[in-house]
Amino acid sequence: MARPRRRDLLAYLVGSGVAGTLLIGPYGLRFGVMQLLPGAAAVEPPFFLLPILWGLWNLVWARRQPAMSIGVWGALLGVAAGVAVNLLFVAQGRWFRAAMLLPLFLAPVYYLIWTLVLGPLNEALGVEHPPDPASLDSRVSRR
Amino acid sequence: MRTLGLIRTATPPPARDLWPRLRARLRDGDRVHLRLPALGWREATAMAVALGTLAVVPNPVRFLIACGLL
Repeated sequence: MARPRRRDLLAYLVGSGVAGTLLIGPYGLRFGVMQLLPGAAAVEPPFFLLPILWGLWNLVWARRQPAMSIGVWGALLGVAAGVAVNLLFVAQGRWFRAAMLLPLFLAPVYYLIWTLVLGPLNEALGVEHPPDPASLDSRVSRR
Repeated sequence: MRTLGLIRTATPPPARDLWPRLRARLRDGDRVHLRLPALGWREATAMAVALGTLAVVPNPVRFLIACGLL
């Protein structure tokens, strides 16, 4: 039986939990918007995949600990998601010109959410690795 | 003897009753300390870019739906 590490599992659950909470937008608010603006929901991105995507992205973050802030890591996901949605719209024949701005819009939005929500949750729940004493020493000696 | 006396007076007396401290630590163990990062120019820029993009696009609602945020 597979035994995932506690930290990895927690990282996945934090990412997917936050994204799942954000789905209140497409699941709840969209209903109201469609009543007001019937033609607005002509495009249907697979937003229901967001929890899986965010969970996996946070899992990779916890495992690799890349040399960048978690906000930038989230922004990269935003750019990738924006490009992917563009490709999906092109494949479906539903692409519209403003969709080009999706990566530009999603990057800062994801940056803010990952910085202000995912980062503190990761830190509070022990997903982040503890700081490396060697790197702390080098930082202190540099000062 | 004088030195020992100085050391004894310099240190706080040991806590006799450890149970209240143990109970307090157990209570705290159930709490999660969320530390929000300070908002700086990066966050302000990100906010400005996001709002600016929404202001530029011709149909913000359709755009937000395409983002999966709405």
